This record gives sequence, C-alpha cells and structure tokens, in this order.
Amino acid sequence: MAMEKEGLSTAESLRKTRTYGKFRCHNPSCMGRLQPKAGEKQVKCPVCGMEYRVHWIRPDFPRIRGPVWDVNRKIAQEALAKKEGKEDATR
Amino acid sequence: MPLDRKIGYVDLSTGNIEIKPIPLEIRKKFLGGRGLDAYLLYNHTKKGVDPLGPDNVLLFSGGILTATCASATARTHVMAKSPLTGLLGSANMGGFFAPELAWAGFHHIVIKGKARKPVYLWIHNGEIEIRDAKNIWGRTVTDSQWAIRDELGDEEVKCAVCGPAGENLVRFANVMTGIKNSAGRTGMGCVMGSKNLKALAARGTMDIKIAHPTEALEFNKRFIDQIVSAKVNQTQGTLGTPFIWGATNSWGGIRCRNFQLNQCEYADDIEPERLDEIATETIGPYHMTGCFGCQVHCRAQYRIPSGPYAGRYDEGPEYTSQGAFGGEPDCKNAVTVLTGNHLVDQFGMDNLETGSLISWAMELYELGILTQKETDGLDLRFGNDEALLEMIERICYRKGWLGDTLADGGIPASEKIGKNSFDYLIQVKGMSNLHSDERATPALALGIATGSRGSDHLRSRPAIDLYHLPEEVLRKIYGTPVPYDGPLSSEHTAYEGKPWQVFWQENCYMGVDCLGICKYHTTFLGATLPNFEDWSRVLYYNTGLEMTPREIWDVAERCYNIERLFNLREGLKRDNPKKGDTLNHRYFDEPCKLGAPDVVGRTIDREKFQKMIDEYYEHHGWDSDGVPLPETLKRLGLENEPSHLL
Repeated sequence: MAMEKEGLSTAESLRKTRTYGKFRCHNPSCMGRLQPKAGEKQVKCPVCGMEYRVHWIRPDFPRIRGPVWDVNRKIAQEALAKKEGKEDATR
Repeated sequence: MPLDRKIGYVDLSTGNIEIKPIPLEIRKKFLGGRGLDAYLLYNHTKKGVDPLGPDNVLLFSGGILTATCASATARTHVMAKSPLTGLLGSANMGGFFAPELAWAGFHHIVIKGKARKPVYLWIHNGEIEIRDAKNIWGRTVTDSQWAIRDELGDEEVKCAVCGPAGENLVRFANVMTGIKNSAGRTGMGCVMGSKNLKALAARGTMDIKIAHPTEALEFNKRFIDQIVSAKVNQTQGTLGTPFIWGATNSWGGIRCRNFQLNQCEYADDIEPERLDEIATETIGPYHMTGCFGCQVHCRAQYRIPSGPYAGRYDEGPEYTSQGAFGGEPDCKNAVTVLTGNHLVDQFGMDNLETGSLISWAMELYELGILTQKETDGLDLRFGNDEALLEMIERICYRKGWLGDTLADGGIPASEKIGKNSFDYLIQVKGMSNLHSDERATPALALGIATGSRGSDHLRSRPAIDLYHLPEEVLRKIYGTPVPYDGPLSSEHTAYEGKPWQVFWQENCYMGVDCLGICKYHTTFLGATLPNFEDWSRVLYYNTGLEMTPREIWDVAERCYNIERLFNLREGLKRDNPKKGDTLNHRYFDEPCKLGAPDVVGRTIDREKFQKMIDEYYEHHGWDSDGVPLPETLKRLGLENEPSHLL
C-alpha cells in the first residue's frame, strides 16, 4: 500500500456509521439501539426488558447513567438460575 | 525538525553525560517513544539485571510527533526493567512533560548508574545538568515540582518526579507529572528512587521545524474534527474517563471484592455523573481540563467535599480510581474514591495496583488467611473506607507488617503471607489486573493474559469488541493496513477471530506509543478514530518521513517483538502462573454471578483459551512457546539484536 495523501482513510469513511441521540442496550446479547425521548430519566429496552437510568450529556445526547438495579437484578437472577439448570455457560 | 531531537545519556554513578543524534535508519525502524525505548532497553541491559541496581537502565521519552502540529502528542513514556514484575517495565503519562523535553532538544533520556545522594536532572536547550535534590527529597509529588520551579526561578519548568512511594522503594511507585498524570504501572518511580533520582526538570525554547506546515495544519483540522465529533470523546469531555467504569459496571464487566463479583451493585454514589456533580459543586461548571495539544479534555478537577482531607484540590479521578477505591474494596462512597485518588497522586503510587492489593488483602482477611496480627489491629473488611485509606498510607511509608509486605508487590507478598494466598491474587506476570472482569469477553481476557508489561488494558484491548459492530465494519477496521480474511465475530462472548483483533490492537497501541499520541485519539474506545492510514499522513506532514500505513504497522510489530525478546530473556514462559501468558484460575473456575442476562454464568473456557493463545502466537510468527521464530526476526530486521547501534 502506497502512502495516500488524498481521500478518506478507513476511520474517516466509517464516520457515517455514527448514530447520535441513541445508545445501545447494555445487555451483550441484545445491544439494541435505544432512543429515549428528550429529557426522559429512565428507559426500558423493548427487546430484552433491561431498564436503565438516563443521563443527558446535552439536550440531544443521552447516555446510560446506570441500571435500574432492582429490575435488572431480577432479570439476571432468573437468567443465572436458568443457566445453572440447563445451559453451558461458556458455549 | 522533530527528527533532529537527541538522545541524552546520563550516568548517575560517574556524572558523565553524552548527547547523541538519532540516526535516520534507527528512526525508520523504531520511530520513537515506547518503540525506541524498547530497543534501547534491550541493548543497554544484560540478562538478569537487578531492577533496583545501578545497571538497570531508566528511559524517558516523547514520541516522534511530540510537540509538533499533530494533535494530542502529550505522552511521556518511561521504561526500565520492572521491580514489580522482573520483566518489562513500561508506563505512559499525559500532561506537558514530553513536549517540554522536545523543546529542550531531546526525545529520549537514558539514565544509568546510581547517584551517591539525591539528585535531579535539569534539561534545558540542548544541555543536561545533574543537580543536588537534598531540598526536594521527601516531598510529595506536587510539592516537589513547585520546589524545583522555585529553585530554578521559572514557573514554566515541567517535571517528571517520583513521590515518597518511589523514595521508599514501593515496587509500584509511579513517575508523576503535574497534579495527577501518572506513568503508573510496573514501578518506574521505584526505579527512580533506587537511583536516588528525584526528578527530571525540563524547559526548552528550541523551535521544532515542521516539514510541511501548511499541510500539517490543514490535515490536523481533519484529524481534530474526527476526534471531537466522536460520541465517546464528547462523553469524556463531560464526564472524564469514569464514564467507562460506569458503563462497564452497568452490564457486569467490572470486578468487585477482589473478583468475587463482577458488578458493584447500587453504586450510585460513585457513578461518573455523581463524581461530575461533585466536581461541578467544588470547582464549577468548567472543571474539565486537558493535556498538551488535546481537544478532548477528559481530565476533571475537583476538591474533596468532606472528611479529613476536605478542600484539597486534585484532578481526575480516572476510571481506575473508581475501581481501585470504590468497586474493588466495595467502598461505595464518592468521598472515599476522591480521597484515595488524592493520596496516591500525592504519594506517587499506582492507584490500580494499590487498590487491587488492598482488596486482595481484604479477601484474605475475611478468609482468615490474614488476621489482626498481620494488620496491626486494622479491621480490614471489605467496605471499610477508613481501613482502605489507612492502608494506602501504610503501603507508601511501609508502615506495619502488612504495609511493608504489600509494598513489595503481589507475588513477593503472597510468598511471605503463604498458605493459599496466591490463589486469590488477580494478576498476570506479577502485575494486578485492571478492575474489569473479562470472563464474558474472551478477546479482553486474551489481551490481558498476553500484555507485554503484565495484565493490562492499554497494550492490546479490543474495546470496540463490546460494541456489537457489524462484521463488515469490523472487516474494514481489522483488515487495514494488513489484509485479513480470517474469522471475525461481532459477538463479544465468542472466541473466533479474537486473536487477530488482539494482535491488531497491539500494533495499533504500539503505533500511538511510538508516535507519542494519546490512545483516546485512536481505535481504542471509538471505532471511527484515526489509525495507521491517518498516521502515515500526519507523520509525513510533520516530520517529512514518508512511511506507508503498512510500514508503520511493521514498526509496531518490530517494537512489540523486541519487548517480547526482553521478556523471554528475563524468564517469561507461556504457562508460568507468575511470569507467563495466563490468567488466575478464577477466570476459568468461578462463573460471573451478576450483570446482564448474557453475562451471568460465564467463565473462560480453558481449552478455547489455549487455542486462542496458539492462534495469537501464530499471527505473531512465534512458536508454540511464544518465542519469535528465526524467520520472524529476519522479516522484522531483528535477527542481529542486540545490535548496540545506539
């Protein structure tokens, strides 16, 4: 590969993949894009049911502040019980 | 020109000082910073050198782009044989020291010998002077720097210092600059202390001529725009690096209670937003600041709001302090995190190692392996904030049996404590892990197991593996500048393709470490941040050195191999639990108990892990023991090392 002084680099070309105003569900097997309504303090993932507290970096820029502990703990406990009973945890 | 910056050789035993140019052929092979330091370390030390003896060599450097028009070239690299691990010692810090060193005419300082009494180096406009440090020895990190500035009569002097921890030979003492910038892994401050070297002070007004200034500035505008428009950097510019700990804790990827748990539940008081609120309350809304030439401004400023240190000013805390003094010891109080952060900053001590070892001791105490006899009456339970802060001070000043024992690092401490204490020590190659839990992320587990300076997230972590990126995006990133058509997986619980990602990230991080650029400006936390292709341009415009992205990749690979050669010479063996590419048994034997549904119940599969190691070695061109093959060394031009050319 020669040194190229013109054109977009790979990193620059990927810039169009950025999404603003959304964040991903923190459940690794879900990772769905969530888009809370402006100013919303809490959001629930419609796919996996995990719930999060929302922080707004700017009025148009939300991020997950943290889990809604009691809700997500219950989901995790159910998942763990299920895995301990049936599934191979390491795949 | 950046290429005319020199190497200064200082022998503290004889007082001899030599200044040499860096030949272009060496530049092209190793560029600068960490890579050239690795070459110098391998060439200037002998097998089995005592890390605390006069024959160990201590290196300070900036990257080849430091103090040019390139963005965020603030990083100072420090290297020596590590007194913590007995292997490669290497640490990197932001701030303003390396640019000042470059303006003073130097990119690299090589320090040998041991001074008879405490000294510091005064480096200014092409000259190096050894000065008496009797009035500075014993002072804290910030006091030392102000004392030097007072003595030299120049407030613009930038210093790299060791604090009391380095003087007391705590084996994980930092080199520090400014308030909190820390070359904070593998005990480089301890090496300073062993040489009676309190500080390097730099001040320079020597111009750095840019090869193509108009193009360099134009391209840097693009570079900066790419960086500041990234969501991850906008978040860092508001909350600092604590956002990483918060996000990771949210899904269950941090360790708590010395790896007993993978999530710190109900930790609202130490969440990044809470720390930001305290910083806003104590400093004001504009409390974020940055390093030289950086637009991200990820560093917070704060005053401790209450407690015995109320009103003290500091910077950070970084996510490592949240883990070290919050999650790991299970002390979920913001004031404790801020106070612990302040203490290690002033003592010059690795926050991560300190918090990890105290948390390890807490588990041993709760198991009855340590008792109040060894703790000198301290009730070292998890969640005991006062005991945590007390232990930080005891370690720094080697007070009491346990403080003195932990100050020697985890492996020597486990040998002294005995019983089965080693089983609970969460380390790789003798260095404690970051406060993250990699049981659900095989790529990250492989990265920490194989890191050249011990367990570490800044040597090869493919953090973007957590973003569930589409495979075509992964292929674009990981298929440049070297074509790759093997497996890649968007699924971060998978094992397939991860060795290539780790290999690629190793070279990426080595690249920025040679150039002198901060890792937040490359493919670390953001998938769309600059890497090899962008560096090829920025290198050419600033230095005139024409190198393709592939050639920069080759430099990185060459430098990583020379680090490997150093470690092999010092005793690294693939499966050695104390000096190998392996993990604590808990990764394999104890499943995650908390976090997201797809995290709970996970462990690292031993067999698949070994397969990943095999594949990772193959990508490198190493044999099954992790030793570079002769043809690999030849391909990289390392077959005659150590060559003693410089």
